[in-house]
Amino acid sequence: MNKAVVAVAVLGSLFAFGSQVAHAAPDWSKVPKRDVAVFHPGVTPIEWATKKSEHSGVTGLKKGETCIGCHEEKNGSLNFDMKRLAGKDLEPKGAPKTMTFPVAVQAAYDKDNLYVRLSFKAPSGGADTSDKDSEVKAAVMFANDKVSQGAQVGCWQTCHSDARTMPGADDKKTKYTKDGAYELMQWKSAKGAKAVDGSVTDKRSMEGGTAGVKAEGTKGADGYTVTFTRKNPGEGKVIPMGVAIHADHATGRFHHVSMGYKLGIGADGDIKAVKQ
Amino acid sequence: MFKRLWQSLKQPSAKYSLLALLSFGFIGGVLFWGGFNTAMEATNQLEFCIGCHEMRDTVYQEYKTTIHYSNRTGVRAICSDCHVPKDWAHKMMRKIQASQEVYGKIMGTINTPEKFEAKRLELATHEWERMKASDSRECRNCHSFEGMDVDKQKMRGAKMHKIAQADKKTCIDCHKGIAHHKPKGMKEEDDE
Repeated sequence: MNKAVVAVAVLGSLFAFGSQVAHAAPDWSKVPKRDVAVFHPGVTPIEWATKKSEHSGVTGLKKGETCIGCHEEKNGSLNFDMKRLAGKDLEPKGAPKTMTFPVAVQAAYDKDNLYVRLSFKAPSGGADTSDKDSEVKAAVMFANDKVSQGAQVGCWQTCHSDARTMPGADDKKTKYTKDGAYELMQWKSAKGAKAVDGSVTDKRSMEGGTAGVKAEGTKGADGYTVTFTRKNPGEGKVIPMGVAIHADHATGRFHHVSMGYKLGIGADGDIKAVKQ
Repeated sequence: MFKRLWQSLKQPSAKYSLLALLSFGFIGGVLFWGGFNTAMEATNQLEFCIGCHEMRDTVYQEYKTTIHYSNRTGVRAICSDCHVPKDWAHKMMRKIQASQEVYGKIMGTINTPEKFEAKRLELATHEWERMKASDSRECRNCHSFEGMDVDKQKMRGAKMHKIAQADKKTCIDCHKGIAHHKPKGMKEEDDE
C-alpha cells in the first residue's frame, strides 16, 4: 500500500515537473525588446482620424498605409504635432504632464502559450485620476481578421466619439468595434485584482474571454513589469495588437496608448514573438 | 478749357524735336511705370494689409503663431506671398478683383469678430478655390516637390508628398489651415 502511494506520488510529481518544464516561463533576458511609444490620445476617435479636414493623413490610410508607417520615425520616436494634441481642441480637459513614454514589449511562445511582457516607467501628473483602486493598469488587445483596417489601425477601431469619458458621451457606453472582434487582456495594480480576460465586440466585456489569460505585475526601481500568459493563437500567425497603460490612477480615455503593431508569432512582424 | 488743351495736344510740335519728345516720353513712361508699380507693391506690404483691423485682429494674429511667420531660418512669407500672384497679368487681375474689398470695408461686412467668424468659411473657401484653380501657384513660388530633400522630412511628410505626386494633388488639397485657423463646418467634399 505504501509502495503504491509512493509510486503514485513520484509519478505525480514527475508529471507536474514535466508540465512545468513544458510551460516554463521564458528566459526574458534572451527575448529581444521592442520599444513601443505610448501617448495620450486626447479626443481623437476613429471618426476623427478618418475625417480629412481633421487628419489629412487619412489619405495614407485609404492607400493601405499603417499608422506607424507615417507616425513612427526610424529611431522609434513619434512625429505627432504634440502641441496640437495637448491643446484645448483635442484635449478639452487638459493634457497630462507626460504626453508620451516608451513601453518595452517582449513576446515569446511555446506549444501552448503566448507570453507578452511589458516594461515601463509609469509617469505621474495624470489628467484624470479617478481610479482609486489601481495606480496602474496595463492592457493589450489583439484584433481578429474581421476588424476593418485592423492591420493598419490596431486598437483604434474600438475608439469612438460616443464612448464613455468622451465629451458628451453616455457613461454607460463602453468602447466597441463596428466589425470584427478584439481579445482584451488587462492587469490591474490593485491588491488582489483578477487578470482581465475579456473582449471588445459591440461592447467591451471584462470577462468571458477564451484566451485563458493570466497576468502578473511587479513594481521595482526600474518601473513596472507586467507579464501576460495566454493561449498561443497559433505559430505563424500575424496579429494586430496595441498596448494601453492607465497611469496615475487614470480611467476611461485617459490612458496612454500605442498605435497598431503587428505581432508575429514566430513570423515576421513589427514585434516578433520568439519560440521557447 | 479741356477743348483748348485737346486742340493744342492734337497740333504737331513747333518748338521741340521728335527725338526730344520721344526721349521725354520714354523717360516719363519709365518713371510712370516705376511709380505705378511702387504704389502697387505698397499694397502688397504686410503693414498695408493689417492697416485694416479686420485683418489685423483676426487672421494676422493667427498667422503669427505659424511657421510661415517665424521659423529657424527666418524666411518669412507675408500676406501677398500667398494671396497675391507674382506674375504681372495674374497680379493685375487680382488687384482689380480686390477693389471690391474696399466696398466690404465701407459696408463693414466683417468688422466685428462675430461677423468675421460667420463669414470665415465663405472667405476661406474663396481662397481655397482660387489656389486649387491655379495649382497652388503662390505656394509654388517658394515650394516644389523637386526641391524637397526627402531625407530631411519626417516620415509623415515624406509619405504624404509621395502620395500627392502620384495622385497629382495640389498643395492646398491637404494644407488647408496652415496659416490661419480652419473654419468650422468644412464639408468633407471640400477636402478633395
